[in-house]
Amino acid sequence: MAPHSGEARLRGVTYDERAAAGLLAALAVVLMAVTAFPILYSLWISFYGLNLRRPNRVPFVGLDNYAHVLANPQFWDSVGRTAYFSAITVVAVLVLATLIAVLLDQDFPGRRILSACLLIPWAIPSVANGLMWKWIYDSNYGALNGLLMQVGFISSATIWLGDSAKTLPLIANAFIWKEVPLAAILLLVTLKAIPADLYSAARVDGATAFKRFCHVTLPAMRPGFLLVALYEAMMAVRHFDLFFLLTEGGPGGASDVVAWRIYVETFRNLSFGTGAAMSYILAIATLLMSYGLIRSLAQKL
Amino acid sequence: MSRDVIMVRPLLWPRLLRGAVLAVASVVLLAYVLAPVFWLVSSSVQTEREIVSIPPHWIPDEPTLQNFKAIFLTGLGYAQPTPTGVDPTSGGFIPSVAGNLLPAMGNSFIVSIAVVVLNLLVGVPAAYAIAKIRFRGRNMALYVILATRVIPDIALVVPFFLVVRKLGMLDSLGSLIITYLAVTVPFSVFVLASFFEQMPDDLDRAARVDGCSRLQVLLRVFLPLARPALVAVGLFAFLASWNEFLLALMFTQTAASQTLPIIVAGITSDFTVSFSFLNAAGVLAVVPPVLLAVIFERYIVSGLTAGAVKG
Amino acid sequence: MPTVRSPSRRSVLQLGAASAALGLPFIGRARAAEPLGFATWSAAVDQVKAHLASFEKKTGVATAYTNAPYAQYRETMITKFTGGAPVDMLWVSDAWLPEFAQAGWIAPIDRFKQLTAYNAETSDFCNQSMMFEGKQYGLTYYTDYMGFLYNAEILEKAGFTKPPTTWAEVTEQAAAIKAKGLLEYPVVIGMAQESWMIEFISALVFSHGGRMVDDAGKPVMQDAKAEAALQWLVDAVQKDKILSPGCVQTGELEVLKTASAGRAAFVLLPKYRLRVLNDPQQSQVAGKFKQALMPMGANGTHATVGWMRFYGVTPRALATPDRADNIAKLMEWFGGKAEGEYRFQKTLLKDLALGFGIKSLYGDADVRRDLNAYGDADLMAQQQDLARKKDTIAPWFGEWNDTNGTAWQQAVLGKATPAQALKASAAKWTELKKAG
Repeated sequence: MAPHSGEARLRGVTYDERAAAGLLAALAVVLMAVTAFPILYSLWISFYGLNLRRPNRVPFVGLDNYAHVLANPQFWDSVGRTAYFSAITVVAVLVLATLIAVLLDQDFPGRRILSACLLIPWAIPSVANGLMWKWIYDSNYGALNGLLMQVGFISSATIWLGDSAKTLPLIANAFIWKEVPLAAILLLVTLKAIPADLYSAARVDGATAFKRFCHVTLPAMRPGFLLVALYEAMMAVRHFDLFFLLTEGGPGGASDVVAWRIYVETFRNLSFGTGAAMSYILAIATLLMSYGLIRSLAQKL
Repeated sequence: MSRDVIMVRPLLWPRLLRGAVLAVASVVLLAYVLAPVFWLVSSSVQTEREIVSIPPHWIPDEPTLQNFKAIFLTGLGYAQPTPTGVDPTSGGFIPSVAGNLLPAMGNSFIVSIAVVVLNLLVGVPAAYAIAKIRFRGRNMALYVILATRVIPDIALVVPFFLVVRKLGMLDSLGSLIITYLAVTVPFSVFVLASFFEQMPDDLDRAARVDGCSRLQVLLRVFLPLARPALVAVGLFAFLASWNEFLLALMFTQTAASQTLPIIVAGITSDFTVSFSFLNAAGVLAVVPPVLLAVIFERYIVSGLTAGAVKG
Repeated sequence: MPTVRSPSRRSVLQLGAASAALGLPFIGRARAAEPLGFATWSAAVDQVKAHLASFEKKTGVATAYTNAPYAQYRETMITKFTGGAPVDMLWVSDAWLPEFAQAGWIAPIDRFKQLTAYNAETSDFCNQSMMFEGKQYGLTYYTDYMGFLYNAEILEKAGFTKPPTTWAEVTEQAAAIKAKGLLEYPVVIGMAQESWMIEFISALVFSHGGRMVDDAGKPVMQDAKAEAALQWLVDAVQKDKILSPGCVQTGELEVLKTASAGRAAFVLLPKYRLRVLNDPQQSQVAGKFKQALMPMGANGTHATVGWMRFYGVTPRALATPDRADNIAKLMEWFGGKAEGEYRFQKTLLKDLALGFGIKSLYGDADVRRDLNAYGDADLMAQQQDLARKKDTIAPWFGEWNDTNGTAWQQAVLGKATPAQALKASAAKWTELKKAG
């Protein structure tokens, strides 16, 4: 290595590193002061048999909490429900968001108003969203029954959230409604970034609009799909608010998903140790899932 | 793309068809997005007797602003809650929480705006460093920042509470501001870093050659160009802060620091409040974030264009 | 640590141990000047504030009042306790007593004879509901029981002059009402997973002569009498179709709204809801709702379930004699007499129709006038005497309650037989009891 370039590199690196450290300092302080302790603390708790009902006995149990959780069939049932909920959510959001993105990519009068209105669900606070959907699904006075009865789809009031077969899809619907707008915007951004010459080339080849969509548009939107699928999957797997506000895990455990189970374990059963272990299992699963999604989607599309 | 389509196919029929399809699709989309909100708003201006009609009245027969009047008048100190002895489930009853809604809205505004400002102050330099400076552990830094958001919040509630108490910030807006900052800033850094990364390195180099420090480059060159991303990030942080429920529930204890979602949730679990009042409180919580989102809509698209999605 | 008198020492030590386990410095002592922290859920907020103000004026003792939504109250308090927030007195639901006591978050009050003296005037189930391991943990804030209420007008239209006295008669009358096309689902009972569910269930079981758990703490929720209760419910939904399958998503508030809209002939509701139902301002059937004794099952009685919420104190409040003195005064001011009368109880009844545990109040002229305006004070008193405490209250109640609720819902939805459902519930109880 030539001494000159080595020196320059060394000097450059130190200045840059100092600059980077300075620029990152505020963030580091915030994260260290506020986030670091809670994360480490809950990790630490997950190795102890801490149940607040037995404050005098808090043994170190190593990985027992994890083993206990993983051996519990109820936990695996809730994993199944989380997987189901996430799957329908991600697929529905992708399909709806793609359609909406394609629509908003067209030039027509009123497009701007439409895309502004589209953001409304995204901006609604989750507490208000839960309240709103609970009221819509209400089996006595709800809008859903009212509407379906008026148009003659159903003849008498139907039980919605109270029907264990319908609960998860209905909660998913409320979730999808709130999630679609952001996904549509992310996809619209990708759509707009597709180079025009890709289309002209396809047109020269005589491809129909539909073929162009399948062979040019969809593949070119791959990064957008990946991002949306990843983001929505992470949101869906961890989602808690609607389960809490709409059904509290019911009826008959039909909406007992992992996020709800963590809540029950921690705050209802006061078993902070296993609750924390469950949280870490969910966190690790989320990471693995993201990794898997990136790998498979990046290859397939 | 669309203009090309028209040029290539100047025929009348396909154009009409296209217009029809677009119109139908727009109406369907609009209905999907607005119908639930419409029902929320409609319910909030119905009387308690009307709200339990079957089938529901989509447009109220006798619309009333009594709930909103109650919220604003008591909130501003012009009216008192309905005196005791009148049963509270009835329409027209002003529960004492009505007076808490406006102050809570004020708290929500203070917290959300503070979080937005701090997010930018803390997030922008960090994002710039991660995007444009080659330093050891650069990737690691981004992963660590994002990893702080992987643990479900429920598991973090109790330890967060301990931190807040240690800092002596219980029942203060400050407790919400610092915790919200900590939970929103990783996402802000991610979006901003992606945005900065898309901007040409030449900008950076040219300015550095002119003798600018890193900070100067950031302030003079990058920030002016990054406005859409800043707005988008600010909007995300604002909405997240406005909507947050779990932490606010634990840290706030009195009307002095309670935010809107807490008051609204309190109303939903109060055994004595009317359905229409509940919906009115919901409307109140919805209006500010929706307005902001609609106003800044175009920034979201452009703010994310260079960022999150890389072609 | 300051000198602690023996009754609370154990609790203080427990809390200390819990904090130590959590790696926290435990603040066991509160400075004398620090105001008395009083935490409640967001109910009767104005009444509490006014009564606190008069307490401060009378005694010169400062207080700090905080409240949180009821739905999240328990979680909020748990976080506050583990985080060492300054709470001295708080509202506690009977369901949380064992776990709060075991965790050392609340302390017994037996040493305050002026407080335990009120037990003589209080309903038995109410006193029992405040006891844990032989110690008393507070004074009642409000007490009520599950009442059987009926719409007299609908019964009349269907040709019945008297309300049913047995559950078989309920089925019979409801079927007739349904057959006449008066209502699709004449019976409305809430079976949603919410805090009221255990009360609905217990009322059904008790009136069928059953128990959930016997005095030795052994589960009997799966025996024939309790099964008869669930079987009645399942038949009502599946066979007779007099109760909507939607009951698994019907909460207490919705039962009330359905009844007040005139779409129910028979409901189980907390007795105090009678006032709302008979108030023309908010009910379409005002004046038509009446109370009857809880119907009997084949081998049952008119028993129902009673519950209560009480004022509890934290070990922190008892840490110094002065503070303990003040907290006892505050508790008496709210849960006992204030200036020689049951002022707060009467305020709650007048303003919010909330029930009381003090039996003698049924003889009070003001109280009788209030109650008779929308119901029958004597019948209310008679039913209150037949109320029994929830026998499922145990440290593991929260955890078991989830499973039990799910089990009952599954039976109602026809996904399990009553026997299977109750067996699962009893097994969970046994498992949790063994785990302690």
